[in-house]
Amino acid sequence: MKAGELFASSADLDSPVHRLPAAMKLWIAVAMVVLVALAPKAWWFVPWGAALFLALVSGLSRVPARVLVGRLLIVEPFVLGVAILSLFQENGVSIFLALLAKSTVCIYTMVLLSCTTPFTAWIDALRQARVPSIFVTTVALMYRYLYVLLDEALRMRRARAARSFAPNRRFDWRLLASVAGQLFLRSTARAERIYSAMLSRGWR
Amino acid sequence: MRTALDVNGLSYRYSDGTAALDDLHFQVQESECVGLIGPNGAGKSTLLLHLNGVLPETLARTATLSVFGEPLVEANLRSIRRQVGLLFQDPDDQLFCPTVYEDVAFGPKQLGLDPAEIVPRVLAEVGLVGFESRSPSRMSHGEKRRACLAGVLACDPAILVLDEPSSDLDPRGRRELIALLRRLPITKIIASHDLELVVELCSRVLVLDRGKIVADGPTTEILNDEPLMLAHGLERPHILRHSHPH
Repeated sequence: MKAGELFASSADLDSPVHRLPAAMKLWIAVAMVVLVALAPKAWWFVPWGAALFLALVSGLSRVPARVLVGRLLIVEPFVLGVAILSLFQENGVSIFLALLAKSTVCIYTMVLLSCTTPFTAWIDALRQARVPSIFVTTVALMYRYLYVLLDEALRMRRARAARSFAPNRRFDWRLLASVAGQLFLRSTARAERIYSAMLSRGWR
Repeated sequence: MRTALDVNGLSYRYSDGTAALDDLHFQVQESECVGLIGPNGAGKSTLLLHLNGVLPETLARTATLSVFGEPLVEANLRSIRRQVGLLFQDPDDQLFCPTVYEDVAFGPKQLGLDPAEIVPRVLAEVGLVGFESRSPSRMSHGEKRRACLAGVLACDPAILVLDEPSSDLDPRGRRELIALLRRLPITKIIASHDLELVVELCSRVLVLDRGKIVADGPTTEILNDEPLMLAHGLERPHILRHSHPH
């Protein structure tokens, strides 16, 4: 399986949610994130309402729950990391829970959006909304090369596995560091080649 | 016939001081197809990057290279990039847009042309009709290569510069590429290790080694010169050994 399929597999499904215009979904999602993030504590019903709405949309979208939850769990450790810091203050537990709930709702909104909207449609929606083109181009390039980079990392891991004969954890970690370094060097070299390619087709 | 490319005393050093190109002199005539051969690290790709001004990083005031009589200086950079289309070695470097359509439309948009007319035409030319909304990450190497070529052709270049166009292609993909290139009537410069492709497409070859041009002449004459070929990490291609009747 190519790395790309791990990510984009559900955006091409067909459902009432998938068929909605991308721009509409994008702005609803952004509005929801802002509302949930800014809602004061007394408005406890906002995150809950949002969660209910998301559950409903998820059902309509026919995206397998396994995919949605899987992606959410990838991001969750970062949320948890930030939220845990809030435990060390007064009223820590309630802040911790509020932070966790709000962040999870926000991230799930974006996960659901990414599972129901092809990336190119996002990019078009951003362009139509007159988001500065340098930002849109950067996002588009990032998305395009994420897969190239992932494939490269997978190939390097395979090459390493093919010549690793005895498991040795310490050695593994050191190798991982050198793989990360290699990947960084390769991507800077690639970035330069991409820029040359853009220049030679008239980029200014 | 006009002179398409005139290289007159081109030298280049990498930023670490290594000499990559050393005082090159050659000309390419309009609609000529020239092969550029030489061992790995000879400077082939570096030379190609000079042909439309991607290298050097800062252009010198006096040009050592001109395209259809136009010297390569800052003021002419845009017009020269328009005239020289560069096909890169790794298609992933060249296909930087999320979809094939956008990638092919990139050049025309930059040049202020109408992509709606151009893109379908060049996609048909390279045999990629129906690939408009495909993402490059889901295409085979041969398809990617053809998409790159479409992106270059969309800018309507007068000189086509190709860096290892047949590498990583399967035999059918390679055959189709050769047929496609043969159909294009424009000036072509092809750097390749695929000497059989060079024999099929190019009437003339330049042999580059350690940044110097060590031979320049008709393809069959040079590629048949076994001592010369071996001295520069090359070999006499099979196709020439068997061109006489058995």
